[in-house]
Amino acid sequence: MADVTDGPLIVQSDKTLLLEVDHDQAEACRRAIAPFAELERAPEHVHTYRLTPLGLWNARAAGHDAEQVVDTLMTYSRYPVPHAMLVDVAETMARYGRLRLETHPALGLVLHSTDRPVLEEVLRSKRVKPLVGARVDDDTVTVHPSERGNLKQVLVKLGWPAEDLAGYVDGEAHQIALDETGWSLRPYQRDAAEGFWHGGSGVVVLPCGAGKTLVGAAAMAHAQATTLILVTNTVAARQWRDELIRRTSLTEDEIGEYSGSKKEIRPITIATYQVMTNRRKGAYTHLELFEARDWGLIVYDEVHLLPAPIFRMTANLQARRRLGLTATLVREDGREDDVFTLIGPKRYDAPWKEIENQGYIAPADCVEVRVTMPDGERLAYATAEADERYRLASSTEIKTRVVEQLVKRHEGDPTLVIGQYIDQLDELAERLGAPVVKGETTVRERQRLFDAFRTGELNVLVVSKVANFSIDLPEASVAVQVSGTFGSRQEEAQRLGRLLRPKADGRTARFYSVVARDTVDQEYAQHRQRFLAEQGYAYHIADAEDILYGEEPA
Amino acid sequence: MTRTRSGPRSLADDLRARTDEELAALLRIRPDLVVPVPVDIAQLASRAATRSSAVRVLDRLDRFTLSVVDALIVLGDPATPKAVRELLSAPKTAVDSALAALRERALTWGTQKSIHLVRVVAEIVGPHPAGLGPSAHQLLLGLPPARLATIVRDLGLQVSGDHASNAETAAAHLAAADTVQGLLDDVGPEAVSALRALSEGPPTGRIDDARRAVDRSTARTPIDRLLAAGLLIPVDDTSVVLPREVGVYLRGGVLDPSVRTEPPQPEMTGRDPDRVDRAAAAGAFNVVRQVETLLDAWSLRPPPVLRTGGLSVRDLRRLPELLDTDETGAALVAEVAYVAGLIAVSEGEDATWTPTPEYDAWQRESVADRWVTLVRGWLETSRTAGLVGSRDERDKPVPALGGEIDRPLTPEVKRTTLDVLAGLPAGAAVDVEGLVAAIRWRRPRRGGQLRDDIVRWTMREAELLGVTGMGALAGHMRPLLAEDTDEARTRLAGLLPEPLDHLLLQADLTAVVPGPLQSELARELNLLSDVESRGGATVHRFTEESVRRALDAGRTADDIHRFLESVSRTPVPQPLTYLVDDVARRHGVLRVGAASSFIRSDDHALLSEIVAAPQASALGLRRLAPTVLVSSLDGVTVLERLRQLGFAPTPESADGSVVVSRVEPRRAFGRPAPQPTLADRPTPTDAVLSAAVRALRAGDRSSSVRPADVVPGRLGRTASAQTLADLRRALEDGSTIWIGYVDHHGATSERVVDPVRLEGGWLAAFDHRSSEIRSFAVHRISGVAAVDA
Repeated sequence: MADVTDGPLIVQSDKTLLLEVDHDQAEACRRAIAPFAELERAPEHVHTYRLTPLGLWNARAAGHDAEQVVDTLMTYSRYPVPHAMLVDVAETMARYGRLRLETHPALGLVLHSTDRPVLEEVLRSKRVKPLVGARVDDDTVTVHPSERGNLKQVLVKLGWPAEDLAGYVDGEAHQIALDETGWSLRPYQRDAAEGFWHGGSGVVVLPCGAGKTLVGAAAMAHAQATTLILVTNTVAARQWRDELIRRTSLTEDEIGEYSGSKKEIRPITIATYQVMTNRRKGAYTHLELFEARDWGLIVYDEVHLLPAPIFRMTANLQARRRLGLTATLVREDGREDDVFTLIGPKRYDAPWKEIENQGYIAPADCVEVRVTMPDGERLAYATAEADERYRLASSTEIKTRVVEQLVKRHEGDPTLVIGQYIDQLDELAERLGAPVVKGETTVRERQRLFDAFRTGELNVLVVSKVANFSIDLPEASVAVQVSGTFGSRQEEAQRLGRLLRPKADGRTARFYSVVARDTVDQEYAQHRQRFLAEQGYAYHIADAEDILYGEEPA
Repeated sequence: MTRTRSGPRSLADDLRARTDEELAALLRIRPDLVVPVPVDIAQLASRAATRSSAVRVLDRLDRFTLSVVDALIVLGDPATPKAVRELLSAPKTAVDSALAALRERALTWGTQKSIHLVRVVAEIVGPHPAGLGPSAHQLLLGLPPARLATIVRDLGLQVSGDHASNAETAAAHLAAADTVQGLLDDVGPEAVSALRALSEGPPTGRIDDARRAVDRSTARTPIDRLLAAGLLIPVDDTSVVLPREVGVYLRGGVLDPSVRTEPPQPEMTGRDPDRVDRAAAAGAFNVVRQVETLLDAWSLRPPPVLRTGGLSVRDLRRLPELLDTDETGAALVAEVAYVAGLIAVSEGEDATWTPTPEYDAWQRESVADRWVTLVRGWLETSRTAGLVGSRDERDKPVPALGGEIDRPLTPEVKRTTLDVLAGLPAGAAVDVEGLVAAIRWRRPRRGGQLRDDIVRWTMREAELLGVTGMGALAGHMRPLLAEDTDEARTRLAGLLPEPLDHLLLQADLTAVVPGPLQSELARELNLLSDVESRGGATVHRFTEESVRRALDAGRTADDIHRFLESVSRTPVPQPLTYLVDDVARRHGVLRVGAASSFIRSDDHALLSEIVAAPQASALGLRRLAPTVLVSSLDGVTVLERLRQLGFAPTPESADGSVVVSRVEPRRAFGRPAPQPTLADRPTPTDAVLSAAVRALRAGDRSSSVRPADVVPGRLGRTASAQTLADLRRALEDGSTIWIGYVDHHGATSERVVDPVRLEGGWLAAFDHRSSEIRSFAVHRISGVAAVDA
């Protein structure tokens, strides 16, 4: 190529950046663009990043300026970068910080502008009006402290993001230290925790099984303050507690559980999303938990599941440091941006395959097994109502036989069978002779079964979607998925995540997804697989006939 | 025709005395004078002095030369260069070259020391040259005698009984610097500031009761005092004017204190020329790709032509997403394709915007060649893409590709803008507003707001087209401005990446082509997959539909596998292989017959599925056999409906074979590309110019030798016997004669010829005007006269 530099990056006109991963400079380039570009896809050869206004503003917030961004693009780009795009980047970044949230010594929280027309423009917006108070002078207006989050959110939507210089409250001090005897924090966990701390608030994205809890613990050790941890369910709450006791200086007495069954408020309190969103007579009854102590840090586990009411509450907590943890920041409701504005920008992100290459999560093979429905069932399927079709296709009877074969093939390996429909799970459990964990299983019983699975007493466990998240089953090495919540990408990723704890013997995990051919099941499966495919997990596709008649899928 | 000591007496006299080169230069600058070639110099002079021709040439003068014109008007006829210099307070070289330019353009005539301005110029400039009012003398003459007398008395001058001499006295007083200063000191600061406002032009102000009777003793207000002193002179009941002399005095004795002899220099930023070229090459590559993307889309779904012409707003709004640009950029891409003749209005009733066969030819060329074609069209066109989306007089948005955006000014200003850029060092990026000011200085009378807008649009479009990079002119554009297309093409080609012969296949069913792909490969890949993102690279996604499209076009699964293996440098991912096989497995399972519209399949359950589908009732299906369905609808409709329902049927021909079909791209034939509307006639070539000058000289000779009793064009119709006799005599004498000739359009002209041969009713003669031997039909020769050379 005449006169063209040989960089690893190609800038597309739709503002995506393509990074060729096998290139010598790929790693350096990845580090250089990570602060301002969002990783969108990471398949095997070419990773896709995207330039978004939010990403660019976050980069500004983290202290990068437009010149750096432009320079990085020009340095690594293989082809010349369209000038218009560079101008656009510079203009977008220049919008950040024209408005600033500051703490005024006398008036408290104020919105201050260095560019009066911008202030005039946003103040004329109907959505901003109710959030601000009196005009102090030409460039300043007061803001009610409780509207800090809402205002920031609205300003982002108006395209004039405010730089938040009002700072954070320290919260009630509490001694927390990591107890690194016999283990140590992994480099990426340390980077993630530090990235978060320097940024003040934000989201850390790490693959399932990569030890997000420890990132939380490390953040708490930075904060040295009372901490509220919000998790998805009670089992996850107990796992957090156990992990904190094991890995930090905290003792059992310092950690409280705030759930359906217990209402303890201690320096470190772990609450479930469910209890927080409980309503009695239309009012959220447990909101006072947020005010119960002067929390110095709030941790949101599995932040991609954050329910809408907690979003609203979070908007009022902008003065407290917030840490969001997730493996898959894809929300089927498209509210990723709200997570970024209310919890904070993405502070750390690593492609799954990279953590795998470092050996911190187990490698995994994904196999989609396609079954053909028997003619009788196909007829039933063809004549069924649209809303019944998925259920019919995904619980076809032939799947049961395939699952049996698969479980048999991996006999001796700890195996999870995961599904959506309880009838199907019950039937599978019966055929496989294995216990089921489902919604109605008591917490105690769940704990017992999980413990038995961990110790190897139990080799096969059938689970419903209650086990999608935050269930730590380190030795599970095979999972068979028979049905799911329609096309949910993050569910697929979370389920694979159950297998990714590194195995003692370095085994490769295997994830089967059994799908009925030529039905909506197959369509949903394709959508479900997208996130993982984009993270570089290649699904092999096998025909059920090969499984049933004993051939090993390629 | 020698120049006498007293100088030429008229413009025609002056022109006659000019050399052939000077005349050719005049005609080159004012090509409108050549069409048609004037009969003689007198006609040339009178044509040059017409209003329309003079406006044309004035519009093309720069700010300083126009100031010199103003000075000549203010100074009166004739003026000396020295007076002009003093009035403008400008250096000799600048003034001399401006005067030379005016003379060259036949706007002035006379001698070095005594310059006459062609009278019509003053009329065109209007009553207020340089924003100054009429002379005091002229204004004072217009006053009632009593009023003038009062002023003269108030000025402390001798009042005479004669109105004219009173006016002269007062005017002389107002023209002298020291006396005016004395008057200004008298009237007070408020009055002076009012005068200053008028002195900047326009020089007229409105007041009530302008003709009030005031004198110095009764004057109360500042305006009263000004009127009393003659510093403001009423012209009617409500208006007053600042006399020219006072205006000039207030401007510091010069016509325009802010006059500049050189164009303002826009602010420049020096950029690395290599980077500029690379950025521009990226733009060039991008616009070629955009045109291709747009026209490929329109090949399949050509958008309708609006009844009023042009492209509908809705169709335009679709383009930014397709082309990854904004609406302005999309309009430009469509316009550039149109101007290059790549799209046209299709024939037939429902006219659409359809690619032309030229598009197919264009597509086969190299990227550099394609770019050159696009940019040359853009340079010359008078279509103004920048106007698209603005509001027309009925407040409707102006459509792209419509007829309303032709502006003769556009190519002219565009060219000037690019020439200014070309005059800067390589890599110099200019500040656009500075450039606007510089162009305004070059052509202040031309175009107004539109001119300024065109400069801005040109800069924006240049960047989008890769004519500039980062605001500086690209290296590959310079040769194109100098008409050296080969060099432009070579330079650009050197900057563009080589087309690739490989791509990267990924397990998420995408393919990334990290650069431009060879065009045959690109076509095949586009058939097989959908484009997801464009730019330096292209990202493609394979889907069931895209693979089915390839199968529909007659590819087999094996063809597809072979193609993928041949272009991929890495093993083909298993999911992709599986996808192709899976689609191929189902492809053609259903077959639809056209004759009686049947659906047949060996798959019983599948047919049941079709019959049971709720939407299938509209197909009027009946099951003939376990493997055959028939429909009351025609096969094409059935095929469509089944595909909509998510099946993959194949049409079947009468003999049972599978019909493969592919949507053929459409083409509009035989439509010419839009021609630019030109404000100027093209500059005549040197050959034409020298012929024109020769013709003028010949015409001049013929008029100077024309017998006194004949009127041009009405040469006495001599009887043809007399004509023949005259011609024969001239032939024998070998003399030069003057003939009247009626051409076959019936137009009469006079020519000076040397007869050579006379036979068969034809005269062959050397025509002085065209400098060649020409044949004249004798019966069309209306008269003959001897030329006494």
